[in-house]
Amino acid sequence: MIRPAKENSSKITDILARYPANRGSLIPILQDIQEKFGYLSEEAIEELERLMGISANEIYGVATFYTQFRFSPPGQHTIRSCQGTACHVRGGHQLLQELQQHLGITAGQTTADRKFDLERVACLGCCALAPVVSVDGKVHAQITAKKIPSILSQYAGKEDDENT
Amino acid sequence: MTSLQPHVGRDLRQAFTEAQAQWRKLQDSEIPIFFVGSATCGRAAGAGEVLQRLRSYIEAKKLNAQVVEVGCLGPCSFEPLVIVHKSDAPRICYGNVGPDEIIHILENHVLGDDPCKQWALGKMTPGQLDGIDDFDAHPMMRRQVRNILRNCGLIDPENPYHYLARDGYRGFLQALEIGPDKTLEEVKAAGLRGRGGAGFPTWCKWQFCRNAPGRTKYLICNADEGDPGAFMNRSLIESDPHAVLEGMLIAAFTLGASQGYIYCRAEYPLAIHRLQVAISQMRELGLLGENIQGSGFSFELTIKKGAGAFVCGEETALIASIEGLRGMPQPRPPFPAVSGLWGKPTVIQNVETLGNLPSILRNGADWYTQYGSESSKGTKTFALAGKIERTGLVEVPLGIKLKDIVYDIGGGIPAGKALKAVQTGGPSGGCIPAEKMDLPVDYESLTEAGSIMGSGGMVVLDEDTCVVDIAKFFLSFTQEESCGKCAPCRVGTRAMLSILERITTGEGEIADLDNLEEIAQTVKNGSLCGLGQTASNPVLSTLRYFRTEYEAHIRERKCPAGVCPQLLHAPCSNECPAGVDVPLYISLIRENRLEEALASHLERNPFPCICARVCPHPCEGKCRRTQLDAPISIRALKRYMVDTAKRTKPKEMVHENPHCLDKKIAVIGAGPAGLSCAYFLRRLGYQVTVFEKQDQPGGMMAYAIPEYRLPRKILQQEIDWLLGTGIELKTNTEVGKDVTIDELKGQGYQAFFLGLGAWKGVSLGIPGENLKGVMQGLDFLVKRNKGLDVPIGKKVAVIGGGDVAIDSARTCFRLGADVTVVYRRTREEMPAIETEIREAQAEGIRFMFLALPERIEGDGKRVQRLTCRRMKLGEFSLDGRRRPESTEETFQLEVDTVIVAIGQRVAAETIAEQVGLTLKRSGRIEIDPFTHETDAAMFFSGGDAVTGPSIVLEAVGAGEGAAVAINEKLSQNLEPQDRPKPFWRRTIPNDTEFDPEAEPVEMPPLKQKTLPLEERRNFEEVELEVAKNMAYQESLRCLRCDYRVED
Repeated sequence: MIRPAKENSSKITDILARYPANRGSLIPILQDIQEKFGYLSEEAIEELERLMGISANEIYGVATFYTQFRFSPPGQHTIRSCQGTACHVRGGHQLLQELQQHLGITAGQTTADRKFDLERVACLGCCALAPVVSVDGKVHAQITAKKIPSILSQYAGKEDDENT
Repeated sequence: MTSLQPHVGRDLRQAFTEAQAQWRKLQDSEIPIFFVGSATCGRAAGAGEVLQRLRSYIEAKKLNAQVVEVGCLGPCSFEPLVIVHKSDAPRICYGNVGPDEIIHILENHVLGDDPCKQWALGKMTPGQLDGIDDFDAHPMMRRQVRNILRNCGLIDPENPYHYLARDGYRGFLQALEIGPDKTLEEVKAAGLRGRGGAGFPTWCKWQFCRNAPGRTKYLICNADEGDPGAFMNRSLIESDPHAVLEGMLIAAFTLGASQGYIYCRAEYPLAIHRLQVAISQMRELGLLGENIQGSGFSFELTIKKGAGAFVCGEETALIASIEGLRGMPQPRPPFPAVSGLWGKPTVIQNVETLGNLPSILRNGADWYTQYGSESSKGTKTFALAGKIERTGLVEVPLGIKLKDIVYDIGGGIPAGKALKAVQTGGPSGGCIPAEKMDLPVDYESLTEAGSIMGSGGMVVLDEDTCVVDIAKFFLSFTQEESCGKCAPCRVGTRAMLSILERITTGEGEIADLDNLEEIAQTVKNGSLCGLGQTASNPVLSTLRYFRTEYEAHIRERKCPAGVCPQLLHAPCSNECPAGVDVPLYISLIRENRLEEALASHLERNPFPCICARVCPHPCEGKCRRTQLDAPISIRALKRYMVDTAKRTKPKEMVHENPHCLDKKIAVIGAGPAGLSCAYFLRRLGYQVTVFEKQDQPGGMMAYAIPEYRLPRKILQQEIDWLLGTGIELKTNTEVGKDVTIDELKGQGYQAFFLGLGAWKGVSLGIPGENLKGVMQGLDFLVKRNKGLDVPIGKKVAVIGGGDVAIDSARTCFRLGADVTVVYRRTREEMPAIETEIREAQAEGIRFMFLALPERIEGDGKRVQRLTCRRMKLGEFSLDGRRRPESTEETFQLEVDTVIVAIGQRVAAETIAEQVGLTLKRSGRIEIDPFTHETDAAMFFSGGDAVTGPSIVLEAVGAGEGAAVAINEKLSQNLEPQDRPKPFWRRTIPNDTEFDPEAEPVEMPPLKQKTLPLEERRNFEEVELEVAKNMAYQESLRCLRCDYRVED
């Protein structure tokens, strides 16, 4: 959701105020912006360029290097399909395909109704309970294709909280 | 979080006192306490629901009870874990505790007197409790030494008093006491090496940094744990954050660093939260900030959230990331210890390295070095995951053998599957094959074996894992994570990945393997940083140990593990050594098109009637339906098919070819391998003669397998049909004796297939084996099958655990004897076909397990008794079975007959000498696994002579493979269009009806009927016919894994 530029600008200023004014603060600031707005919008980067004196080019250079950052608005719920080694040998890849089929999108996309994002993640660190999928940070353990519909239906009905 | 009272402030001594009091109260509590494992893994398994249910129950019933959230105790496969404290009983750790279970435990154990041992993993404190052993004696815990993880799962990680009460920060205080120089000495004496993976001596890094000029120095804790398949650091931080932070204090104090950073991945929100809480607690305790505890040492800590880049595991890249740059590595030197963060000397340590420091300082280097091996001191945590029974976080002394971790601690491979390899070190490591499981786990040994220690990820791979797929998996990871700065890594990982993609999709060429190896070496030697230098390890190690599996993908377009989708028709047919299209004949049975079904089977396997009776059906072991309920009863369906369907005329199986008519091939041995080879060659149009030294064809099928499993008439009909394709059979002709190879060559035979079998029984080598009444199992069966009278006594002991042993035992039972099978291991380790053992037990045959025959005694002529030593199961051997070990105890069996069936060997020496081919040390014939050719040109082999005793189907597959290879050799001078093609290998289109959208049919699996037990004192066939409606229903259960949606 696009918000009025002024309001955003003041929120970004607030975020900047939490950190020392140096280059080392760039990534934490980007993380905070993403946490606040859900993604790094063009206008947010422009604002940052103005406030930090780092060129937008360079900010993009840093941001695109890391997998955490996204540049389009997220859906209401983020599904992360773990593609770690333990999950892989226990069928994590097939699970991702099932999720893709079920949601009708491929990893990295958002469903048309903007309910779900689907992401591949290198490892959630719950290898002993593989294969795992997380939805909005909650890890679901030992997932099978059969369990997918019931897990997703827990979220499908939930309405988005205004600020997430 | 427990908030500290402000008055505690900087007075640590007072905090210690308070901590002791709190801890004692917790230990001696009058009221019950529930310690619920609530780390990320516990929560994922449902700890949140357990907590909720527990708390609302306690509140609703107004119970006086306490709930404490603790970290991870380690045995993750038993999550959620709850430790229950009850004032008058030992503490008990319960596993797999869901919301219902916890209420049950509360009502029955805490409020009642039933300790609920069904969920108990063990006692955590001393005291007697019937049926519940100590937690430390639990198979998963017994071999562990928990030093780093000593607090994990036992303390509330957000309550600093718990940490203090467990001697927390005493290591740091000790460092303050002895000063930085002596602290460094202590760490040096302890031999601590970096736990991030490379194993660089920690003291050495510190020395460099201390010697570097400049007053400002930095310490960074690397908690980015980017390895997929690793969670040691997450678990430690979530469960005992202060241990890591105390380690940072000790390191920073020694280095003279006043600023520290913790670089923790954003995917670990709970770990970050725990660190934040712990840092603020340190500040309140006066353990952070200016002039800590009046020592003059000042230290500040900042958490940096990693934004997701595996390359940031590389020190210089991590530094770039903290500086707010793209996380790209820099060439070294200069090393960070000299010039790191913002150009200042910087030491980066892994979480676990730091976690080791408090105990080293607290207990001293001597204590520390009692654990570990010569070069690798101390303990190491491993994240044990993958295809293993008990997963979790374990801590073991370095130098422990891999098999101890996999089999002892991990409990081996689930579902009776075989171990294939253990992957250590994640994308930078390699795969260590099952036969190297006695490798000690230390830095040098793992590197030597082509892998690395890594940070502690240990993923177990079973037979259903494809190593080429694993290599591709890691390469796609490193390729994606390569920062792109240096060409060898950027280009090389991509090039390797594209080759692996070709191989796994059936587009590979044999030259690819050498190319892969060459690129891998280039990337290894030429890359700038650790990511690239180690990215080749998954490829190199799998090529080193599993080259044949790569070759199968390329040469046979087959993925033996049944993983690579483009090379997989269906898991069942992929597993069938003969390559029978199982889903095809099942779906044809469903449509009652039985002739077509049988014809399709005959395309790949000429022995459907035999296999319907004696095959141990490896196909069913791979059936995907198993995940839903139980596998399809494929063999029972086959039985229905062969009993009902009319067979194609044998001549119709042959594609005569004028170019082959004059080409003669000699098959030596008319067992399943020889007959199959002859069958497929004949079908290509060749002239085939089979030479057999016995008077009947069939080999082991005719002479070893008893009639109650395989009626003679069925066998005869099937072989006659096969010979009806136009194969000449010469029985009573022993090649090498009755006719020599040279003579055969003189008669115009151009190629030879040696299907010699494994006929030589192994003897026990104990006194008394030459007594009357002692015989070899195989000899016994052969004589019986020849119709000779073999007198046996009334009380028979059969020695051994394989198929020949069980066949002998069941035959003796049918002859009216009282039979005991004597086996040196247990039922679980028995190699015989499972259903045969079950039937034998049902028939009333006794099994004497853990018994090793020591001598056979008689009255000078006939056997009277057998003396056995009682065995016990000891250490695991490399095959994952426990080794039988002698005990003091012996016992005697009064018997008059002893049948020895402890194995068979190949007796190929005579022919080998005449032909000039090499035998393995075991006596087996050595061949190229793909062409089946021996090292003597135009001599091919397969079946038991190559593999040792195995199943009929294995021999059929080998015979077919050899036929194809012989054809290639014999037809290479023909014009391409004239060359015969193995036409049976094409996939037969399946035109049966199938609705892929329909839900799987819910139906219990078919159980084949057998002869009533009381009717078995004869040689009637035990397995009975399958009714039509049963077969039809069973065929509906097939999930049709072969089905592909048309493009």
